[in-house]
Amino acid sequence: MEINRRDFLKVLGATGASALAGCASEAPERLIPYLIPPEEVIPGQALWYASTCRECPAGCGVLVKVREGRAIKVEGNPEHPVNRGKLCARGQASPQGLYNPDRVRQPLRRDASGKLQPISWDDAEKFLAESLDAVRGRGLARQIALVTPLLTGSLDRLIADWLKALGSQRHLRYEPFAYEPLRAASKICFDRDTVPSYRLGESKLILSFGADFLESWISPVEFAREFSKSRSPRDGEMGRFIYVGPRYSLTAANADEWVSVRPGTELFLALGMIHVIVEQGLAASAPQDLTAEIRTLVRAHDPKAVAARTGVAAEKIVRLARDFAAQKPAVALGGGIASSGSNAQATAVAIHLLDYLTGNMGRTVRFDTASSLGQLSSYGDLVSLVQSMARGEIQALFLHNVNPLFTLPQSVGFAQAMKKVPLVVSFSSFMDETAADAHLVLPDHTPLESWGDYSPREGVIGLMQPAMRPLFDTKGLGDLLISVAKKMEGEMAKRFPWASFYDYLRDQWKEIQRRFDPQKEFKDFWDEALQRGGVWKESRTEAVRLNGRAISSLRSQIQEANLTGDGDKPFYLSLYPSLSHFDGRGANRPWLQELPDPMTSIVWGNWLELHAETAKRLQLRDGDVVSVASPYGKIELPARLSETIRPDVVAIPIGQGHSNFGRFGSAVGANPIHLLSAGADPQSGALPWLSVKVMLAKTGRRQPLVSVAGSENQQGREIAQAISLAELREGEKTEEEEVKQIYAPHEHPKHRWGMAIDLNACTGCNACVVACYAENNLPVVGKEQVAKGREMSWIQIQRYVDEGRENPQSAIRNPKFIFLPMLCQQCDAAPCESVCPIYATYHTPDGLNAQVYNRCVGVRYCANNCPYKVRRFNWFEYDWPEPLNSQLNPDVTVRSVGIMEKCTFCVQRIREVENRAKAEGRKIKDGEIVPACAQTCPTEAIVFGDLKEPESRVAKLSHDPRRYRVLEHLNTQPAVTYLKKVKNG
Amino acid sequence: MTRTAKIFAGLVLFVVLVLTGIMFAAYGRANAPEQPIKFSHKVHAGDFGIACEYCHSYARRSTVAGVPSVARCMGCHKVTALDKPEVKKLADYWNRKEPIPWVKVFDQPDFVYFSHQPHIAKGIACQSCHGAVEQMEKVREAVVVNMARCVNCHMEKKASIDCWTCHK
Repeated sequence: MEINRRDFLKVLGATGASALAGCASEAPERLIPYLIPPEEVIPGQALWYASTCRECPAGCGVLVKVREGRAIKVEGNPEHPVNRGKLCARGQASPQGLYNPDRVRQPLRRDASGKLQPISWDDAEKFLAESLDAVRGRGLARQIALVTPLLTGSLDRLIADWLKALGSQRHLRYEPFAYEPLRAASKICFDRDTVPSYRLGESKLILSFGADFLESWISPVEFAREFSKSRSPRDGEMGRFIYVGPRYSLTAANADEWVSVRPGTELFLALGMIHVIVEQGLAASAPQDLTAEIRTLVRAHDPKAVAARTGVAAEKIVRLARDFAAQKPAVALGGGIASSGSNAQATAVAIHLLDYLTGNMGRTVRFDTASSLGQLSSYGDLVSLVQSMARGEIQALFLHNVNPLFTLPQSVGFAQAMKKVPLVVSFSSFMDETAADAHLVLPDHTPLESWGDYSPREGVIGLMQPAMRPLFDTKGLGDLLISVAKKMEGEMAKRFPWASFYDYLRDQWKEIQRRFDPQKEFKDFWDEALQRGGVWKESRTEAVRLNGRAISSLRSQIQEANLTGDGDKPFYLSLYPSLSHFDGRGANRPWLQELPDPMTSIVWGNWLELHAETAKRLQLRDGDVVSVASPYGKIELPARLSETIRPDVVAIPIGQGHSNFGRFGSAVGANPIHLLSAGADPQSGALPWLSVKVMLAKTGRRQPLVSVAGSENQQGREIAQAISLAELREGEKTEEEEVKQIYAPHEHPKHRWGMAIDLNACTGCNACVVACYAENNLPVVGKEQVAKGREMSWIQIQRYVDEGRENPQSAIRNPKFIFLPMLCQQCDAAPCESVCPIYATYHTPDGLNAQVYNRCVGVRYCANNCPYKVRRFNWFEYDWPEPLNSQLNPDVTVRSVGIMEKCTFCVQRIREVENRAKAEGRKIKDGEIVPACAQTCPTEAIVFGDLKEPESRVAKLSHDPRRYRVLEHLNTQPAVTYLKKVKNG
Repeated sequence: MTRTAKIFAGLVLFVVLVLTGIMFAAYGRANAPEQPIKFSHKVHAGDFGIACEYCHSYARRSTVAGVPSVARCMGCHKVTALDKPEVKKLADYWNRKEPIPWVKVFDQPDFVYFSHQPHIAKGIACQSCHGAVEQMEKVREAVVVNMARCVNCHMEKKASIDCWTCHK
């Protein structure tokens, strides 16, 4: 055989071509080495940086998990005294602020045509410096104002110094929820212009007058922990919780009793209770002279009179007062947003009085650690700024992470006043309503990229350090102020000699060191503080004495909340901060948009809650769009029928309705703040949130609300169970069902991972749900897909009515809800496994129902056969708009279209600990493996561990007298044990 | 040689070559990409006997072995072989403060979890999965690390063959 050269080459050419065609693959991946490797970085292993959460003023400590230079998850700092390792849903979602695709990526300046155009930082600073020099040159430096959220410590100090050097003192620390009435009441009663700290954990009875402390009030993570401490049954005893308010909030749903009160009359209920306490001699401590005065004060407010005003039965008032006085210590809380009317300050004084008379002041209500909320400007201060602006008396307005166009009622006229200000500069990280109208947008870093410090209360100073390099061309506010000062004329440059805000911060901390640890070298002190996330020390208890003038001031202010509203039979409008979006700042986080509200299960939107009877009268169905009109504004929202609200009240959550807040936050729902009147409360300077009555009108349109809820009715299936404290005391115990098996049971040679979930501790706060999204790369599918039941959450808070708790006499149902976190039960006899035709789901030797993504072909038999309905199917290839994808956890596969998925018990965390223990040649310690949901649970309702280890917490809990398993009769033998909720009264 | 025989021989050769081509492609044996610098593992690991972990220093501690930093290369090449053109390229990268964009030869799909650490701890030689790299001028995927290979070895060594050992 002879092949000449030419033939050979021909054949070879063809072969080469076909070989190439056969392997036309993706572009090769690159390995990019470090130029100089950072000493502490080991690729493939996480680094944790301690910092402080700035999603609300609570100031929880966080640890930021960083992989290969990217912050991928935020968890609570276990050492931090505020949150002790836990975080709420909003804190868990903070990486979506950092990686938000709608961040302002570089400085922008409005050009002649009115468009915001990119400019360089240098030009922006020069422009700013020149503008400020010009204002100063005209002698108008006093007309420079800077508005920030609550700041403390170094940045606050720098701003004050900077403004002072310019010649202005107008720094407003503005938070929409500023607790002015509570602060004013504390000042009147005890000369402390601040919010007290509450020790709920020690309280045997918690009485909340509309304070939603498990959702948004002051410091929800801390309160949730304390609450569960008070509520955990010990030796047959547990704390009671009574909620007073017109609406059954999430916090109310955790109470033993809901006292439905006519809105704005909480003051009278408190006075009625004081009346009973004084008249029946139940007061624990009050100086004699004051007791007489108090007696005179409340003389007219006997239970009968109060019952007529509040709609609470006289006997109930007597019972409440007696209970409250008998339980020592107890605590009465007030100053909730939803119940802050024009008499909020008087109400707060009365509640302080109640705590004072029963000896709780100094025990469960303390003033020894002054909260930084005392530093806040009042709403009234902001209104006067707006008035100055409108008069043309503000030359330059700086706005840092505040969004007054959204959070102030339209009737305040901020939009018009802003047009009168020649220079409006926004430092916002996001293009929001206010930033979009600014002349100059100079984006700040997000908190996870920033240096800083924040002190939520005296004695606790949290440090913030950047967990990663800034993603975009942004600049920290501190750095900007320093570098603008350097570009200015005269003294300014000299007064700010620091090279950066970091240097300034360290200088400030030298002062802190002198207070906290003067013996130590500064470098050591600083390094330690950075590692720990800040410094904190124990505080001492200080007794407070009631001011006599508190009583006289209260006497002159006893009146019902003043509500304005026209029309025939208008409804009280009750507004409350949304659990997910707070004052609206969380609305651009897709995780929070897709997070079902725990009371209604609604996602992507807000609603108007009204009583079913009211709706019937107005011929409204669930999902009918209603026009809500007050004398100040009008919005349209879909109706949500409810039986847990007073028939004369309608309620709307605050936080949605942005017109300009990025792709996720815009055009979702409506903003109810615009229904409010602008007037500040003359006494405390607060915005009275409960101040208008509204008229409802049917629009004829429908906009069905998208919710993930099935039914709150258990249909007798005993999915969410409860036990009374009395039954528990008598030693009632659930029988453990015998395991029946046809096939040989699974062997678990080493471990069997299991979980115990205490329904008595779960408050339904949703933190676990967001933590799971963050840890396990769960996609956000959007409203339309959720409507089709295609949400991807691996864990969900389900809300069920505790059966047989309804009160047929009342139009307002007073049901006991049970919140039930539902996730894959990791059954030992799993119905999903036996129907998988291709062995993609199977039982691992350590007792997990594994899902192998690369085997799965998406027949969905498993989901169909799962009685718990916890499997999720990828109907589409979901994407993470850049740079949201940078948050993805590299230890978890990103699933593609056509794949089934579900909770894995965070198998990546299990394997990580297993590998570490193996490498160190030791056994895994109990509690060493913590899934993301359990890690963040503020009340530690979720416990994870090895069921085969008899001494492990989870093994013990799985035999607890309160134990049960969901749908136990199906013999699925779940690895998740639930502990029944305990009913106390 | 007849024309038919010629065509037949040509066809046979064609088929054989196509098949080999496909096999090479499919099994990645042809995967020996051009690298930005012609770095010779033969010279470093073979001739000079530098240990793998000297440069791939994370292997015993982490999931990834780590590609050496440019600083690690410069550690020696500040003083050695300065005249070689490829070392000059290295110096250029260093002077430009630019990382070297190496092309990945060994890669696992995203749904596979693999950690070097336990394998190194067990004393598995690097070569058992990466081939005799110390003999290669240009690294190629001489050993194909697919699931069969992993599972066979795991069975042999009595290591876990549970799916969720490597998939999650």
